[in-house]
Amino acid sequence: MAAVERKQKRVLWAISIPMAILALSAVYPIFFTINAALKTRKGFVLDRFGLATDPTFANFSQAWNQSRLSEYFTNSVVVTIGAVLLLLLVSSLAGYALAILRFRGSKLIFTIILVSLMIPVQVVLVPFYRTMIALDLINSRAGLIIAYTAFFLPFSVYLMTAFYARLPRELFEAAQIDGAGLVQVWWHIMLPMGKPALITLGILNTLYCWNDLLISLLVLQDQRTLMVGIAALRGEYTTNVPLLAAGICLAAAPIVIIYMIFQRQIVSGIAVGAVKG
Amino acid sequence: MTSTMIAKETESRQPTAGRRSIFGNNAHRLAYLFVLPALVLVILFRIVPLIWGLGYSFTDYNGMSTPTFVGVQNYVAIAHDPVFLDSLINMLILLATLPIWIGLPLVLAILIHQGVPGGKLFRAVYFFPAVLSSVIVGAIFNMLLRYDGSFNAALKAMGFSAIDWLGNSNTALFSLIAVQLWATFGMSLLIFLAGLSTVPSDMLEAAKLDGAKLMQTWWYIVIPSIRPIIEFAAVVTTIGMLTSMFGLIYVLTAGGPGTATTLPEFLIWLEQGKMNRPGYASAISMVLFLMMGGLAWIQIRIMSKNADL
Repeated sequence: MAAVERKQKRVLWAISIPMAILALSAVYPIFFTINAALKTRKGFVLDRFGLATDPTFANFSQAWNQSRLSEYFTNSVVVTIGAVLLLLLVSSLAGYALAILRFRGSKLIFTIILVSLMIPVQVVLVPFYRTMIALDLINSRAGLIIAYTAFFLPFSVYLMTAFYARLPRELFEAAQIDGAGLVQVWWHIMLPMGKPALITLGILNTLYCWNDLLISLLVLQDQRTLMVGIAALRGEYTTNVPLLAAGICLAAAPIVIIYMIFQRQIVSGIAVGAVKG
Repeated sequence: MTSTMIAKETESRQPTAGRRSIFGNNAHRLAYLFVLPALVLVILFRIVPLIWGLGYSFTDYNGMSTPTFVGVQNYVAIAHDPVFLDSLINMLILLATLPIWIGLPLVLAILIHQGVPGGKLFRAVYFFPAVLSSVIVGAIFNMLLRYDGSFNAALKAMGFSAIDWLGNSNTALFSLIAVQLWATFGMSLLIFLAGLSTVPSDMLEAAKLDGAKLMQTWWYIVIPSIRPIIEFAAVVTTIGMLTSMFGLIYVLTAGGPGTATTLPEFLIWLEQGKMNRPGYASAISMVLFLMMGGLAWIQIRIMSKNADL
Protein backbone atom coordinates (compact mmCIF):
# COMPACT_ATOMS: atom_id res chain seq x y z
CA MET A 1 0.00 0.00 0.00
CA ALA A 2 2.55 2.52 1.17
CA ALA A 3 4.84 1.29 -1.56
CA VAL A 4 2.18 1.96 -4.16
CA GLU A 5 1.71 5.45 -2.84
CA ARG A 6 5.42 6.16 -2.76
CA LYS A 7 5.69 4.95 -6.31
CA GLN A 8 2.85 7.23 -7.37
CA LYS A 9 4.62 10.16 -5.75
CA ARG A 10 7.78 9.40 -7.65
CA VAL A 11 5.82 9.15 -10.89
CA LEU A 12 4.26 12.53 -10.23
CA TRP A 13 7.67 14.08 -9.60
CA ALA A 14 8.96 12.62 -12.84
CA ILE A 15 5.94 13.96 -14.69
CA SER A 16 6.49 17.45 -13.37
CA ILE A 17 9.64 17.73 -15.49
CA PRO A 18 7.95 17.65 -18.92
CA MET A 19 5.23 19.86 -17.44
CA ALA A 20 7.86 22.38 -16.43
CA ILE A 21 9.30 22.32 -19.94
CA LEU A 22 5.84 22.96 -21.33
CA ALA A 23 5.45 25.83 -18.87
CA LEU A 24 8.70 27.31 -20.11
CA SER A 25 7.44 27.12 -23.69
CA ALA A 26 4.30 28.93 -22.55
CA VAL A 27 6.27 31.85 -21.14
CA TYR A 28 9.28 31.96 -23.44
CA PRO A 29 7.61 33.86 -26.32
CA ILE A 30 6.55 36.49 -23.83
CA PHE A 31 9.99 36.71 -22.32
CA PHE A 32 11.44 36.95 -25.83
CA THR A 33 9.15 39.87 -26.64
CA ILE A 34 10.01 41.85 -23.53
CA ASN A 35 13.69 41.16 -24.06
CA ALA A 36 13.51 42.27 -27.71
CA ALA A 37 11.70 45.47 -26.73
CA LEU A 38 14.63 46.43 -24.54
CA LYS A 39 17.18 46.13 -27.35
CA THR A 40 18.16 48.63 -29.99
CA ARG A 41 17.37 47.66 -33.55
CA LYS A 42 21.01 46.98 -34.23
CA GLY A 43 21.45 45.15 -30.97
CA PHE A 44 18.55 42.87 -31.89
CA VAL A 45 19.92 42.06 -35.33
CA LEU A 46 23.31 41.20 -33.83
CA ASP A 47 21.92 39.05 -31.03
CA ARG A 48 18.26 38.07 -31.04
CA PHE A 49 18.22 35.72 -28.09
CA GLY A 50 20.80 37.04 -25.66
CA LEU A 51 19.70 38.95 -22.62
CA ALA A 52 19.35 42.68 -23.19
CA THR A 53 22.33 43.64 -21.08
CA ASP A 54 22.14 47.32 -21.91
CA PRO A 55 18.37 47.89 -21.86
CA THR A 56 16.96 50.88 -23.68
CA PHE A 57 13.48 52.32 -23.31
CA ALA A 58 13.66 54.28 -26.55
CA ASN A 59 11.40 51.76 -28.31
CA PHE A 60 8.67 52.29 -25.76
CA SER A 61 8.68 56.04 -26.10
CA GLN A 62 8.84 55.81 -29.89
CA ALA A 63 5.88 53.41 -30.00
CA TRP A 64 3.97 55.51 -27.50
CA ASN A 65 4.54 58.85 -29.22
CA GLN A 66 5.45 58.51 -32.91
CA SER A 67 3.38 55.42 -33.55
CA ARG A 68 0.46 57.06 -31.75
CA LEU A 69 -0.12 54.21 -29.34
CA SER A 70 -0.91 56.78 -26.64
CA GLU A 71 -3.92 57.89 -28.66
CA TYR A 72 -5.05 54.29 -29.27
CA PHE A 73 -4.49 53.51 -25.63
CA THR A 74 -6.87 56.29 -24.63
CA ASN A 75 -9.48 55.01 -27.06
CA SER A 76 -9.20 51.50 -25.64
CA VAL A 77 -9.42 52.71 -22.06
CA VAL A 78 -12.49 54.87 -22.72
CA VAL A 79 -14.30 52.20 -24.70
CA THR A 80 -13.45 49.37 -22.30
CA ILE A 81 -14.49 51.25 -19.17
CA GLY A 82 -17.68 52.50 -20.80
CA ALA A 83 -18.68 49.09 -22.09
CA VAL A 84 -17.87 47.28 -18.85
CA LEU A 85 -19.91 49.70 -16.75
CA LEU A 86 -22.84 49.48 -19.16
CA LEU A 87 -22.60 45.68 -19.19
CA LEU A 88 -22.66 45.49 -15.40
CA LEU A 89 -25.61 47.87 -15.16
CA VAL A 90 -27.71 46.18 -17.83
CA SER A 91 -26.92 42.63 -16.75
CA SER A 92 -27.50 43.15 -13.04
CA LEU A 93 -30.87 44.76 -13.75
CA ALA A 94 -31.80 41.94 -16.11
CA GLY A 95 -30.55 39.28 -13.71
CA TYR A 96 -32.60 40.80 -10.92
CA ALA A 97 -35.74 40.79 -13.03
CA LEU A 98 -35.20 37.29 -14.44
CA ALA A 99 -34.06 35.49 -11.30
CA ILE A 100 -35.87 37.25 -8.46
CA LEU A 101 -38.88 39.14 -9.75
CA ARG A 102 -39.93 36.61 -12.38
CA PHE A 103 -42.91 37.53 -14.46
CA ARG A 104 -44.88 36.03 -17.28
CA GLY A 105 -42.42 35.42 -20.10
CA SER A 106 -39.28 35.82 -18.01
CA LYS A 107 -38.09 32.34 -18.89
CA LEU A 108 -38.66 33.01 -22.56
CA ILE A 109 -36.69 36.25 -22.34
CA PHE A 110 -33.86 34.43 -20.58
CA THR A 111 -33.85 31.87 -23.39
CA ILE A 112 -33.84 34.54 -26.10
CA ILE A 113 -30.87 36.27 -24.51
CA LEU A 114 -29.04 32.98 -24.08
CA VAL A 115 -29.80 31.84 -27.63
CA SER A 116 -28.21 34.99 -29.00
CA LEU A 117 -24.93 33.45 -27.81
CA MET A 118 -25.33 31.37 -30.96
CA ILE A 119 -24.96 34.46 -33.12
CA PRO A 120 -21.32 35.58 -33.28
CA VAL A 121 -20.30 38.79 -35.03
CA GLN A 122 -19.08 36.99 -38.15
CA VAL A 123 -22.50 35.53 -38.78
CA VAL A 124 -24.19 38.95 -38.76
CA LEU A 125 -21.27 41.02 -40.03
CA VAL A 126 -23.02 42.72 -42.94
CA PRO A 127 -26.41 43.53 -41.40
CA PHE A 128 -24.80 44.45 -38.07
CA TYR A 129 -22.64 46.97 -39.90
CA ARG A 130 -25.71 48.32 -41.71
CA THR A 131 -27.57 48.61 -38.41
CA MET A 132 -24.70 50.58 -36.93
CA ILE A 133 -24.74 52.95 -39.92
CA ALA A 134 -28.51 53.36 -39.73
CA LEU A 135 -28.28 54.29 -36.04
CA ASP A 136 -25.37 56.64 -36.72
CA LEU A 137 -23.13 54.65 -34.40
CA ILE A 138 -20.28 54.08 -36.86
CA ASN A 139 -17.01 55.83 -36.13
CA SER A 140 -17.88 56.79 -32.62
CA ARG A 141 -16.57 55.48 -29.37
CA ALA A 142 -20.10 55.52 -27.96
CA GLY A 143 -21.09 53.28 -30.86
CA LEU A 144 -18.32 50.83 -30.04
CA ILE A 145 -19.37 50.83 -26.38
CA ILE A 146 -22.91 49.88 -27.40
CA ALA A 147 -21.65 47.25 -29.84
CA TYR A 148 -19.48 45.63 -27.17
CA THR A 149 -22.36 45.68 -24.74
CA ALA A 150 -24.63 43.98 -27.25
CA PHE A 151 -22.10 41.25 -28.05
CA PHE A 152 -20.80 40.49 -24.58
CA LEU A 153 -24.18 40.82 -22.87
CA PRO A 154 -25.69 37.31 -23.10
CA PHE A 155 -23.00 35.71 -21.00
CA SER A 156 -23.22 38.53 -18.44
CA VAL A 157 -26.98 38.23 -18.13
CA TYR A 158 -26.59 34.47 -17.83
CA LEU A 159 -24.08 34.76 -15.01
CA MET A 160 -26.03 37.40 -13.07
CA THR A 161 -29.29 35.47 -13.41
CA ALA A 162 -27.70 32.19 -12.32
CA PHE A 163 -26.00 33.92 -9.41
CA TYR A 164 -29.09 35.74 -8.16
CA ALA A 165 -31.20 32.59 -8.50
CA ARG A 166 -29.02 30.98 -5.85
CA LEU A 167 -29.39 33.75 -3.27
CA PRO A 168 -31.78 33.03 -0.40
CA ARG A 169 -35.15 34.57 -1.10
CA GLU A 170 -35.70 35.62 2.52
CA LEU A 171 -33.46 38.57 1.77
CA PHE A 172 -35.92 40.09 -0.63
CA GLU A 173 -38.99 39.04 1.27
CA ALA A 174 -37.66 40.95 4.28
CA ALA A 175 -37.12 43.99 2.10
CA GLN A 176 -40.65 43.70 0.81
CA ILE A 177 -42.02 43.76 4.33
CA ASP A 178 -39.95 46.87 4.91
CA GLY A 179 -41.79 48.36 1.98
CA ALA A 180 -38.70 49.09 -0.04
CA GLY A 181 -39.32 49.81 -3.72
CA LEU A 182 -37.87 47.62 -6.44
CA VAL A 183 -35.27 50.18 -7.40
CA GLN A 184 -34.13 50.50 -3.79
CA VAL A 185 -33.95 46.74 -3.45
CA TRP A 186 -31.80 46.59 -6.56
CA TRP A 187 -29.51 49.33 -5.30
CA HIS A 188 -29.28 48.36 -1.62
CA ILE A 189 -29.51 44.59 -1.84
CA MET A 190 -28.98 43.21 -5.35
CA LEU A 191 -25.86 45.20 -6.18
CA PRO A 192 -24.04 44.52 -2.89
CA MET A 193 -25.12 40.88 -2.84
CA GLY A 194 -24.11 40.41 -6.45
CA LYS A 195 -20.63 41.73 -5.87
CA PRO A 196 -18.70 38.46 -6.44
CA ALA A 197 -20.45 37.89 -9.77
CA LEU A 198 -20.14 41.55 -10.75
CA ILE A 199 -16.41 41.53 -10.06
CA THR A 200 -15.92 38.38 -12.13
CA LEU A 201 -17.94 39.87 -14.97
CA GLY A 202 -16.15 43.19 -14.72
CA ILE A 203 -12.79 41.48 -15.16
CA LEU A 204 -13.82 39.06 -17.90
CA ASN A 205 -15.55 41.77 -19.90
CA THR A 206 -12.52 44.02 -19.51
CA LEU A 207 -10.45 41.28 -21.12
CA TYR A 208 -12.96 40.75 -23.93
CA CYS A 209 -13.34 44.44 -24.76
CA TRP A 210 -9.66 45.26 -24.48
CA ASN A 211 -8.67 42.27 -26.63
CA ASP A 212 -11.29 42.63 -29.35
CA LEU A 213 -10.22 43.21 -32.94
CA LEU A 214 -13.12 42.43 -35.27
CA ILE A 215 -15.86 44.62 -33.80
CA SER A 216 -13.45 47.49 -33.37
CA LEU A 217 -12.20 47.21 -36.98
CA LEU A 218 -15.78 47.33 -38.15
CA VAL A 219 -17.12 50.15 -35.97
CA LEU A 220 -14.21 52.56 -35.53
CA GLN A 221 -12.68 53.49 -38.84
CA ASP A 222 -10.95 56.83 -38.43
CA GLN A 223 -9.91 56.16 -34.87
CA ARG A 224 -8.22 53.03 -33.66
CA THR A 225 -8.28 50.96 -30.54
CA LEU A 226 -5.02 49.54 -29.29
CA MET A 227 -5.48 46.11 -30.89
CA VAL A 228 -6.23 47.62 -34.29
CA GLY A 229 -3.18 49.84 -33.78
CA ILE A 230 -0.94 46.87 -32.96
CA ALA A 231 -2.22 44.93 -35.96
CA ALA A 232 -1.36 47.95 -38.15
CA LEU A 233 2.03 48.36 -36.48
CA ARG A 234 2.74 44.72 -37.27
CA GLY A 235 2.19 45.47 -40.94
CA GLU A 236 4.20 48.69 -41.01
CA TYR A 237 7.26 47.71 -39.03
CA THR A 238 8.07 44.22 -40.21
CA THR A 239 11.78 44.92 -39.97
CA ASN A 240 11.86 46.88 -36.75
CA VAL A 241 11.19 44.06 -34.34
CA PRO A 242 12.16 45.92 -31.11
CA LEU A 243 9.67 48.70 -31.86
CA LEU A 244 6.88 46.22 -32.54
CA ALA A 245 7.83 44.27 -29.43
CA ALA A 246 7.62 47.46 -27.36
CA GLY A 247 4.17 48.16 -28.77
CA ILE A 248 3.09 44.63 -27.91
CA CYS A 249 4.33 45.06 -24.34
CA LEU A 250 2.46 48.34 -23.92
CA ALA A 251 -0.76 46.86 -25.28
CA ALA A 252 -0.54 43.74 -23.15
CA ALA A 253 0.61 45.40 -19.93
CA PRO A 254 -2.82 46.32 -18.54
CA ILE A 255 -4.11 42.79 -19.14
CA VAL A 256 -1.05 41.22 -17.54
CA ILE A 257 -1.48 43.43 -14.49
CA ILE A 258 -5.17 42.57 -14.24
CA TYR A 259 -4.36 38.87 -14.56
CA MET A 260 -1.83 39.07 -11.77
CA ILE A 261 -4.19 40.87 -9.41
CA PHE A 262 -7.43 39.06 -10.21
CA GLN A 263 -6.22 35.60 -11.17
CA ARG A 264 -8.63 33.95 -8.75
CA GLN A 265 -11.70 35.69 -10.15
CA ILE A 266 -10.70 35.03 -13.75
CA VAL A 267 -10.11 31.37 -13.01
CA SER A 268 -13.48 30.98 -11.31
CA GLY A 269 -15.25 32.92 -14.07
CA ILE A 270 -13.94 30.79 -16.93
CA ALA A 271 -15.62 27.61 -15.75
CA VAL A 272 -19.01 29.23 -15.16
CA GLY A 273 -21.66 27.50 -17.19
CA ALA A 274 -19.64 24.30 -17.47
CA VAL A 275 -20.03 23.26 -13.87
CA LYS A 276 -23.19 23.44 -11.86
CA GLY A 277 -23.11 25.98 -9.05
CA MET B 1 -19.70 30.37 -4.64
CA THR B 2 -20.45 26.69 -4.64
CA SER B 3 -21.26 24.57 -1.63
CA THR B 4 -22.49 27.17 0.86
CA MET B 5 -24.62 28.73 -1.83
CA ILE B 6 -26.24 25.46 -2.70
CA ALA B 7 -26.97 24.76 0.96
CA LYS B 8 -28.60 28.15 1.34
CA GLU B 9 -30.48 27.69 -1.85
CA THR B 10 -32.13 24.45 -0.78
CA GLU B 11 -33.08 26.02 2.52
CA SER B 12 -34.68 28.97 0.84
CA ARG B 13 -36.53 27.03 -1.81
CA GLN B 14 -39.45 26.02 0.26
CA PRO B 15 -42.68 25.51 -1.58
CA THR B 16 -44.04 28.95 -0.93
CA ALA B 17 -46.56 30.67 -3.11
CA GLY B 18 -43.98 33.34 -3.83
CA ARG B 19 -42.11 31.67 -6.67
CA ARG B 20 -43.60 34.32 -8.88
CA SER B 21 -43.28 37.94 -7.95
CA ILE B 22 -42.94 38.59 -4.25
CA PHE B 23 -43.47 42.30 -4.65
CA GLY B 24 -47.09 42.48 -5.63
CA ASN B 25 -48.71 43.13 -8.98
CA ASN B 26 -47.26 46.53 -9.55
CA ALA B 27 -43.82 44.97 -9.69
CA HIS B 28 -44.44 43.30 -13.03
CA ARG B 29 -44.26 46.43 -15.07
CA LEU B 30 -41.02 47.53 -13.43
CA ALA B 31 -39.57 44.07 -13.90
CA TYR B 32 -40.20 44.30 -17.64
CA LEU B 33 -38.50 47.66 -17.59
CA PHE B 34 -35.45 46.19 -15.87
CA VAL B 35 -34.97 43.51 -18.48
CA LEU B 36 -35.80 45.79 -21.40
CA PRO B 37 -32.31 47.26 -22.05
CA ALA B 38 -30.78 43.79 -22.30
CA LEU B 39 -33.57 42.53 -24.50
CA VAL B 40 -33.47 45.53 -26.85
CA LEU B 41 -29.70 45.32 -27.31
CA VAL B 42 -29.77 41.62 -28.04
CA ILE B 43 -32.69 41.85 -30.45
CA LEU B 44 -31.49 44.97 -32.22
CA PHE B 45 -27.86 43.95 -32.72
CA ARG B 46 -28.02 40.19 -32.97
CA ILE B 47 -31.40 38.70 -33.68
CA VAL B 48 -32.69 41.27 -36.17
CA PRO B 49 -29.33 41.29 -38.02
CA LEU B 50 -29.47 37.51 -38.22
CA ILE B 51 -32.86 37.61 -39.91
CA TRP B 52 -31.80 40.55 -42.05
CA GLY B 53 -28.66 38.65 -43.08
CA LEU B 54 -30.72 35.65 -44.02
CA GLY B 55 -32.69 37.99 -46.27
CA TYR B 56 -29.51 39.49 -47.80
CA SER B 57 -28.22 36.04 -48.60
CA PHE B 58 -31.00 35.65 -51.16
CA THR B 59 -30.25 38.95 -52.90
CA ASP B 60 -27.59 40.38 -55.19
CA TYR B 61 -26.91 43.24 -52.77
CA ASN B 62 -23.50 44.83 -53.40
CA GLY B 63 -23.43 47.47 -50.69
CA MET B 64 -25.00 50.25 -52.73
CA SER B 65 -27.63 48.93 -55.12
CA THR B 66 -31.13 48.14 -53.99
CA PRO B 67 -31.07 44.44 -53.26
CA THR B 68 -33.06 42.30 -55.67
CA PHE B 69 -34.16 38.78 -54.92
CA VAL B 70 -32.05 36.16 -56.67
CA GLY B 71 -33.17 33.01 -54.88
CA VAL B 72 -30.46 30.55 -53.91
CA GLN B 73 -28.04 31.94 -56.48
CA ASN B 74 -25.54 33.00 -53.81
CA TYR B 75 -25.63 29.55 -52.25
CA VAL B 76 -25.07 27.90 -55.61
CA ALA B 77 -22.22 30.30 -56.25
CA ILE B 78 -20.44 29.61 -52.97
CA ALA B 79 -20.78 25.88 -53.53
CA HIS B 80 -18.72 26.40 -56.69
CA ASP B 81 -16.34 28.95 -55.25
CA PRO B 82 -12.89 27.35 -54.90
CA VAL B 83 -11.93 29.85 -52.21
CA PHE B 84 -14.94 28.92 -50.10
CA LEU B 85 -14.29 25.23 -50.64
CA ASP B 86 -10.66 25.74 -49.62
CA SER B 87 -11.83 27.49 -46.47
CA LEU B 88 -14.10 24.54 -45.68
CA ILE B 89 -11.25 22.07 -46.15
CA ASN B 90 -9.05 24.17 -43.88
CA MET B 91 -11.83 24.16 -41.34
CA LEU B 92 -12.15 20.38 -41.52
CA ILE B 93 -8.41 20.00 -40.97
CA LEU B 94 -8.69 22.30 -37.97
CA LEU B 95 -11.65 20.34 -36.59
CA ALA B 96 -9.77 17.08 -37.05
CA THR B 97 -7.22 18.29 -34.48
CA LEU B 98 -9.92 18.49 -31.78
CA PRO B 99 -8.67 15.41 -29.86
CA ILE B 100 -5.39 17.24 -29.18
CA TRP B 101 -7.27 20.33 -27.96
CA ILE B 102 -9.15 18.19 -25.47
CA GLY B 103 -6.58 15.51 -24.65
CA LEU B 104 -3.66 17.78 -23.86
CA PRO B 105 -5.44 20.01 -21.33
CA LEU B 106 -7.32 17.02 -19.91
CA VAL B 107 -4.15 15.09 -19.14
CA LEU B 108 -2.52 18.21 -17.70
CA ALA B 109 -5.59 18.96 -15.58
CA ILE B 110 -5.69 15.43 -14.18
CA LEU B 111 -2.00 15.59 -13.37
CA ILE B 112 -2.39 18.92 -11.60
CA HIS B 113 -5.41 17.56 -9.76
CA GLN B 114 -3.43 14.49 -8.71
CA GLY B 115 -0.97 16.80 -7.02
CA VAL B 116 1.98 17.15 -9.35
CA PRO B 117 4.56 19.24 -7.51
CA GLY B 118 4.16 22.89 -8.53
CA GLY B 119 0.65 22.32 -9.85
CA LYS B 120 -0.68 25.73 -8.86
CA LEU B 121 2.18 27.45 -10.64
CA PHE B 122 1.65 25.31 -13.73
CA ARG B 123 -2.02 26.23 -13.79
CA ALA B 124 -1.23 29.94 -13.62
CA VAL B 125 1.45 29.71 -16.31
CA TYR B 126 -0.51 27.52 -18.71
CA PHE B 127 -3.52 29.75 -18.53
CA PHE B 128 -1.60 32.98 -18.91
CA PRO B 129 -1.48 33.10 -22.75
CA ALA B 130 -5.28 32.74 -22.80
CA VAL B 131 -5.75 36.23 -21.38
CA LEU B 132 -3.67 37.77 -24.17
CA SER B 133 -5.56 38.97 -27.22
CA SER B 134 -5.17 37.13 -30.49
CA VAL B 135 -3.58 40.30 -31.91
CA ILE B 136 -0.84 40.18 -29.28
CA VAL B 137 -0.34 36.45 -29.75
CA GLY B 138 -0.34 36.83 -33.53
CA ALA B 139 2.17 39.68 -33.47
CA ILE B 140 4.49 37.77 -31.13
CA PHE B 141 4.44 34.64 -33.25
CA ASN B 142 4.80 36.63 -36.41
CA MET B 143 8.13 37.90 -35.05
CA LEU B 144 9.14 34.38 -34.16
CA LEU B 145 7.89 32.35 -37.12
CA ARG B 146 8.50 34.64 -40.08
CA TYR B 147 11.05 33.39 -42.58
CA ASP B 148 13.60 35.90 -41.32
CA GLY B 149 12.25 35.44 -37.81
CA SER B 150 13.86 34.24 -34.66
CA PHE B 151 12.73 30.64 -34.75
CA ASN B 152 14.49 30.10 -38.05
CA ALA B 153 17.53 31.96 -36.79
CA ALA B 154 17.67 29.48 -33.93
CA LEU B 155 17.19 26.53 -36.28
CA LYS B 156 19.99 27.74 -38.54
CA ALA B 157 22.28 28.27 -35.58
CA MET B 158 21.70 24.64 -34.67
CA GLY B 159 22.54 23.53 -38.19
CA PHE B 160 19.03 22.93 -39.53
CA SER B 161 17.66 24.61 -42.60
CA ALA B 162 15.09 27.37 -42.29
CA ILE B 163 11.44 26.69 -43.03
CA ASP B 164 8.98 29.35 -44.14
CA TRP B 165 6.46 28.44 -41.42
CA LEU B 166 3.91 31.09 -42.33
CA GLY B 167 4.68 31.55 -46.03
CA ASN B 168 4.59 27.93 -47.16
CA SER B 169 1.14 26.56 -47.84
CA ASN B 170 2.13 23.19 -46.42
CA THR B 171 3.04 24.56 -43.01
CA ALA B 172 1.03 27.78 -42.64
CA LEU B 173 -2.22 26.18 -41.48
CA PHE B 174 -0.44 23.96 -39.00
CA SER B 175 1.49 26.93 -37.67
CA LEU B 176 -1.77 28.80 -37.23
CA ILE B 177 -3.38 25.85 -35.44
CA ALA B 178 -0.36 25.32 -33.21
CA VAL B 179 -0.27 28.99 -32.19
CA GLN B 180 -3.98 29.02 -31.38
CA LEU B 181 -3.59 25.83 -29.38
CA TRP B 182 -0.67 27.39 -27.50
CA ALA B 183 -2.79 30.42 -26.76
CA THR B 184 -5.98 28.71 -25.63
CA PHE B 185 -5.33 25.26 -24.14
CA GLY B 186 -5.24 26.85 -20.68
CA MET B 187 -8.92 27.70 -21.04
CA SER B 188 -10.00 24.05 -21.28
CA LEU B 189 -7.50 23.20 -18.56
CA LEU B 190 -9.37 25.49 -16.18
CA ILE B 191 -12.74 24.02 -17.16
CA PHE B 192 -11.41 20.50 -16.52
CA LEU B 193 -9.92 21.50 -13.17
CA ALA B 194 -13.26 22.96 -12.10
CA GLY B 195 -14.91 19.69 -13.12
CA LEU B 196 -12.34 17.57 -11.34
CA SER B 197 -12.86 19.48 -8.10
CA THR B 198 -16.42 18.11 -8.05
CA VAL B 199 -15.26 14.45 -8.19
CA PRO B 200 -15.79 13.00 -4.72
CA SER B 201 -12.39 12.17 -3.26
CA ASP B 202 -13.63 9.09 -1.36
CA MET B 203 -14.24 7.47 -4.73
CA LEU B 204 -10.57 7.91 -5.53
CA GLU B 205 -9.56 6.74 -2.05
CA ALA B 206 -11.63 3.60 -2.43
CA ALA B 207 -10.02 2.89 -5.77
CA LYS B 208 -6.60 3.39 -4.22
CA LEU B 209 -7.44 0.93 -1.42
CA ASP B 210 -8.43 -1.60 -4.02
CA GLY B 211 -4.94 -1.23 -5.35
CA ALA B 212 -5.99 0.38 -8.61
CA LYS B 213 -3.13 1.85 -10.59
CA LEU B 214 -3.01 5.56 -11.33
CA MET B 215 -3.94 5.05 -14.96
CA GLN B 216 -6.84 2.78 -14.03
CA THR B 217 -8.37 5.29 -11.64
CA TRP B 218 -8.13 7.93 -14.37
CA TRP B 219 -9.69 5.82 -17.03
CA TYR B 220 -12.42 4.11 -15.02
CA ILE B 221 -13.32 6.71 -12.40
CA VAL B 222 -12.02 10.21 -13.07
CA ILE B 223 -12.76 10.58 -16.77
CA PRO B 224 -16.28 9.04 -16.68
CA SER B 225 -17.24 11.23 -13.75
CA ILE B 226 -16.33 14.43 -15.56
CA ARG B 227 -17.67 13.30 -18.91
CA PRO B 228 -20.29 16.08 -19.10
CA ILE B 229 -17.52 18.63 -18.54
CA ILE B 230 -15.42 17.09 -21.29
CA GLU B 231 -18.38 17.28 -23.65
CA PHE B 232 -18.96 20.91 -22.70
CA ALA B 233 -15.30 21.73 -23.34
CA ALA B 234 -15.42 19.93 -26.69
CA VAL B 235 -18.46 21.94 -27.75
CA VAL B 236 -17.00 25.25 -26.61
CA THR B 237 -13.64 24.48 -28.24
CA THR B 238 -15.31 23.58 -31.54
CA ILE B 239 -17.34 26.78 -31.50
CA GLY B 240 -14.11 28.64 -30.84
CA MET B 241 -12.50 26.96 -33.86
CA LEU B 242 -15.36 28.14 -36.04
CA THR B 243 -15.66 31.68 -34.73
CA SER B 244 -12.63 32.81 -32.70
CA MET B 245 -9.77 32.54 -35.15
CA PHE B 246 -10.29 35.88 -36.91
CA GLY B 247 -7.83 37.97 -34.90
CA LEU B 248 -5.04 35.45 -35.17
CA ILE B 249 -5.52 34.93 -38.92
CA TYR B 250 -5.67 38.70 -39.47
CA VAL B 251 -2.36 39.32 -37.75
CA LEU B 252 -0.43 36.09 -38.33
CA THR B 253 -1.09 35.12 -41.94
CA ALA B 254 -3.90 37.30 -43.37
CA GLY B 255 -5.43 34.10 -44.71
CA GLY B 256 -2.46 33.24 -46.91
CA PRO B 257 -0.38 32.18 -48.58
CA GLY B 258 -3.13 31.95 -51.18
CA THR B 259 -6.03 30.45 -49.30
CA ALA B 260 -3.90 28.21 -47.07
CA THR B 261 -5.11 29.73 -43.79
CA THR B 262 -8.46 31.17 -44.89
CA LEU B 263 -11.28 29.93 -42.69
CA PRO B 264 -14.96 30.69 -43.40
CA GLU B 265 -15.13 33.43 -40.74
CA PHE B 266 -12.15 35.19 -42.34
CA LEU B 267 -13.61 34.79 -45.80
CA ILE B 268 -16.79 36.55 -44.64
CA TRP B 269 -14.68 39.52 -43.63
CA LEU B 270 -12.85 39.55 -46.98
CA GLU B 271 -16.06 39.24 -48.96
CA GLN B 272 -17.98 41.96 -47.18
CA GLY B 273 -15.08 44.41 -47.12
CA LYS B 274 -12.62 44.14 -49.96
CA MET B 275 -14.83 42.60 -52.56
CA ASN B 276 -17.99 44.48 -51.73
CA ARG B 277 -20.27 41.50 -52.03
CA PRO B 278 -22.33 41.59 -48.84
CA GLY B 279 -25.10 39.43 -50.29
CA TYR B 280 -22.55 36.77 -51.07
CA ALA B 281 -20.86 37.25 -47.69
CA SER B 282 -24.22 36.80 -45.98
CA ALA B 283 -24.69 33.46 -47.69
CA ILE B 284 -21.34 32.29 -46.27
CA SER B 285 -22.44 33.68 -42.89
CA MET B 286 -25.57 31.56 -42.98
CA VAL B 287 -23.59 28.43 -43.79
CA LEU B 288 -21.30 29.18 -40.85
CA PHE B 289 -24.33 29.78 -38.65
CA LEU B 290 -25.82 26.43 -39.61
CA MET B 291 -22.55 24.67 -38.90
CA MET B 292 -22.22 26.08 -35.43
CA GLY B 293 -25.91 26.35 -34.62
CA GLY B 294 -26.29 22.76 -33.47
CA LEU B 295 -23.17 22.96 -31.36
CA ALA B 296 -24.20 26.22 -29.77
CA TRP B 297 -27.60 24.73 -29.03
CA ILE B 298 -25.94 21.97 -26.99
CA GLN B 299 -23.87 24.56 -25.14
CA ILE B 300 -26.95 26.60 -24.31
CA ARG B 301 -28.83 23.52 -23.13
CA ILE B 302 -26.03 22.67 -20.71
CA MET B 303 -25.72 26.26 -19.51
CA SER B 304 -29.41 26.75 -18.90
CA LYS B 305 -29.59 23.45 -17.04
CA ASN B 306 -26.69 24.53 -14.84
CA ALA B 307 -28.24 27.94 -14.19
CA ASP B 308 -30.77 26.31 -11.88
CA LEU B 309 -33.67 28.54 -12.78
